[in-house]
Amino acid sequence: MGIVTVLWEKWVEFRRDFYKITLAAMIAPLMYILVFGMGIQTISHGQPYLQFLIPGVVALTTMNGSFNAIAQNLNVQRLYEKAFDQVMISPTPLWQFIAGQIIGGSLRGIYAGCVIILLVLPIGVRLCFNGWSFLIMFLNGAVFSTLGVVVSFYARTHTDVPRFSNYVIMPMAYLCNTFFASDSIPHGLREVIQLLPLSQASSMIRSIANREPFSYAGIGILAAYLAVLMVLAFSFLYKKKNL
Amino acid sequence: MIELKKLTKKYDEFTAVKELDLTIETGGFFGLLGPNGAGKSTTIGMLSTLFLPTEGEILIDGERLTRKNTVLKRKISVVTQEYSMRQDMTIEEVMEYQGRLYFVPKKERREKTQELLEFCDLMDYRKRTVRKLSGGMKRKLMVCRALLTEPEILLLDEPTAGMDALARRQMWNLLKRLNRNHLTILLTTHYMEEAEILCDRVGLMDRGRLQEVDSPRAMIERLGCYAVDQVSEEQTRSFFFQTQEEAIRYLSGRKDLASLRNTTLEDVFLEKVGKYLERH
Repeated sequence: MGIVTVLWEKWVEFRRDFYKITLAAMIAPLMYILVFGMGIQTISHGQPYLQFLIPGVVALTTMNGSFNAIAQNLNVQRLYEKAFDQVMISPTPLWQFIAGQIIGGSLRGIYAGCVIILLVLPIGVRLCFNGWSFLIMFLNGAVFSTLGVVVSFYARTHTDVPRFSNYVIMPMAYLCNTFFASDSIPHGLREVIQLLPLSQASSMIRSIANREPFSYAGIGILAAYLAVLMVLAFSFLYKKKNL
Repeated sequence: MIELKKLTKKYDEFTAVKELDLTIETGGFFGLLGPNGAGKSTTIGMLSTLFLPTEGEILIDGERLTRKNTVLKRKISVVTQEYSMRQDMTIEEVMEYQGRLYFVPKKERREKTQELLEFCDLMDYRKRTVRKLSGGMKRKLMVCRALLTEPEILLLDEPTAGMDALARRQMWNLLKRLNRNHLTILLTTHYMEEAEILCDRVGLMDRGRLQEVDSPRAMIERLGCYAVDQVSEEQTRSFFFQTQEEAIRYLSGRKDLASLRNTTLEDVFLEKVGKYLERH
């Protein structure tokens, strides 16, 4: 099964770069928690800000972990190493290759999210992360892994991926219900931001963490993003004249 | 059998390959020769499904080759011109990855990897990452990787580029042995000697068109089996003769520096392509 082959490749990469991957997943989220949550001690929505912040940081870490695991790596394989050619030439069905990338990226996202959950355990915040949280983290990771696949395919140079990160991923990390509730964003922009996948993931993970009911519609929205991005990735691989 | 039918590849206004018709019989060893930019690599790219043809089609054993046709793709292995490997993987991992991509069973994958790495003197370096290998070793690894899957068709895009003389000879011996075992091989190369020794048929490509297809021997015979090189201060010119007597007769009448030798495929190539270059 081609999916297992891609997961094996991801495992080789993970095993080799374990410390680098783990440290990279920790640094930025830890800074957010230390500076915004513990340094500037505030109250938000009637509770300590950390209570609000941590689920958002977990969601954005999942996003970053998944996107970064796929986009840059695949871009280098396609444009620089040409290792992607070997996959294209091989009899491994291309849909299985993409599915493997998505699952592998999601698992890397979940790993990064779990590292943060483990690190904040000693702080003693009373947050709940259950099976639903991990399902949403997986789905969020799947959306951003697929986005990573699409970006790496459509990128024309090595610098396109970091540029996309700066223009799209970074603003999302700050605006999508992570550091503050998107309710306070001006009307018009608010509706757009609330529809973005990270807003949905943050909102659902936060509701679960605070033992509140969450909207299942969010799962539907994430699934819709996943479906659209998968269509883009498949159409590139099967229809693009020159890879 | 590989059949290319009116195969055309255009990049915007530029036509890299134009209406290429070619048949390579099962078990054949075909060499595609031509100057840089003739369209050889683009042809290999279409055969490996990296590029989709603008027009025309490729048939393998009568079946149309597409990106989705995994059954046909299983039969083909490719050694690309560039080192298409993950630089951070070890030799062992590259082979393992290839075996998995082609669904080679685990036991067979391990045994074949060991056999191929030993044959190519790469066994001692199996834990070394691709990044740390020399150009020749990378090239050998690419060939090992292609053979791991026991293909029926092997596409080689300048497989010996960057190899030293000894490694090149080893590679030739290996390719000859594989071809004797009915492996169909399509080779592009800049080394005419390589094509002459290995290929049973060669095609001369120029500006995307196949100009001539025949056996190297027949091409040489058409030009003349004997060559006289006439050396002057400005240039070396070659003259070709059908018989040794004719060549000697020509040579004996000359007072400048000249020498007699057998005509090679390189002479054929230079005559055909060189004339085009002179005209342009």
